[in-house]
Amino acid sequence: MAICSAHTTTSLRSPCTTISNTGLRQNQVILFTTRSSRRGSTRHGARTFQVSCTAEKPIIIGLAADSGCGKSTFMRRLTSVFGGAAEPPKGGNPDSNTLISDTTTVICLDDYHSLDRTGRKEKGVTALDPKANDFDLMYEQVKAIKEGKAIEKPIYNHVTGLLDPAELIQPPKIFVIEGLHPMYDQRVRDLLDFSIYLDISNEVKFAWKIQRDMAERGHSLESIKASIEARKPDFDAYIDPQKQYADAVIEVLPTLLIPDDNEGKVLRVKLIMKEGVKYFNPVYLFDEGSSISWIPCGRKLTCSYPGIKFSYGPDTYFGQEVSVLEMDGQFDRLDELIYVESHLSNLSTKFYGEVTQQMLKHSDFPGSNNGTGLFQTIVGLKIRDLYEQIIAERAGVPAEAAKV
Amino acid sequence: GGPSTPPGISDKMSESIKEAQEACSEDSASGECAAAWDEVEELSAAASHARDKLKESDPLENYCKENPETDECRTYDS
Repeated sequence: MAICSAHTTTSLRSPCTTISNTGLRQNQVILFTTRSSRRGSTRHGARTFQVSCTAEKPIIIGLAADSGCGKSTFMRRLTSVFGGAAEPPKGGNPDSNTLISDTTTVICLDDYHSLDRTGRKEKGVTALDPKANDFDLMYEQVKAIKEGKAIEKPIYNHVTGLLDPAELIQPPKIFVIEGLHPMYDQRVRDLLDFSIYLDISNEVKFAWKIQRDMAERGHSLESIKASIEARKPDFDAYIDPQKQYADAVIEVLPTLLIPDDNEGKVLRVKLIMKEGVKYFNPVYLFDEGSSISWIPCGRKLTCSYPGIKFSYGPDTYFGQEVSVLEMDGQFDRLDELIYVESHLSNLSTKFYGEVTQQMLKHSDFPGSNNGTGLFQTIVGLKIRDLYEQIIAERAGVPAEAAKV
Repeated sequence: GGPSTPPGISDKMSESIKEAQEACSEDSASGECAAAWDEVEELSAAASHARDKLKESDPLENYCKENPETDECRTYDS
């Protein structure tokens, strides 16, 4: 018995080839295989159909963050690491929240709202409230995808505030669920192979929302503030506690390099990485496990005001051991980034300079000159590494079993 | 400045801001008040995504999708 996986090269006629090329068709392929083997005796080449294919099952990634906190930028950086651009499903609902690339499908968990906009207003609950979300359906569908089955997922339309007719989602290689509650329900949490929480401090959130919304007609400084304040109790009760479950947290804080800075342009960004997570080796600076503070500016590197400062060291986060890498300040030029990259270890890059290359590829994305872009890119590389390890192990283990 | 918000979303937003201010005038700690501001946030995010979409669209690129054979659009790999 042969086992086919993404890395197996099979002849073009083998039913397994389709699996290797795209994860999208695997359901049809399995149906085809069973049907063919049933009437296999009458067909020529029936023996090839008896090859049993281990369907490739997606790995599941959870990304939690508040709205307007850069989830979409993160998603674009992640899909770019895997190669190919992410696009909405072709020919479907133009307001679909789903993004599909060759390897990755990203769904937005707002699609699991049980109450639409009118329903929430009538009941006086926000979208942050678990009562406004259908966690049973979320669990069932994420589980089905993880088992390699296609799903009919509802679409929450952000413009109309209504629940639109469902769309068909095929299992990809990497399935990302992003939104407010990916780690809220324990059943869903247990399905995740890796989880990330984007933690934006209140000061920075305020600055970002001003940048985003000030030009809007009728939206003033007061109304932006009121909106943040009104949502805060639910945010603190239901969203924020999820960060304790995340394998990686990206924390965005005001800079300490400029005294009393509240512009939110220069940022201090922390990458908090959980220790002891299978397939995930935290990045380190110079020496693993030591506490280090590093200012790369000097004879070898010119930095403009306010400069760049890195820190690295072990810490505890919600009672768990973590490694924390921090960057304060921003890059002015490329040579700064390659200089920094060359001093970081365990980046899971395929070649020297890959982090810098990825950042340069998307120099127009928000955060490309500071720690948010750098750490999002690093997490993207870590997820690729995790995926490759899981696939390699899956391909290896059943092969061993088949020998016995 | 970049492209402006599509008028449909922009109108909805200024309307929901007004509604939120009214809903909160009585009790600013009520669920109704929070839900109303949450709607504003949802529309702000939708507006920002709509602006990003407009920003990404390059007039020449759009034209070339429809007319790849024209002089200004033809590209050869080798």
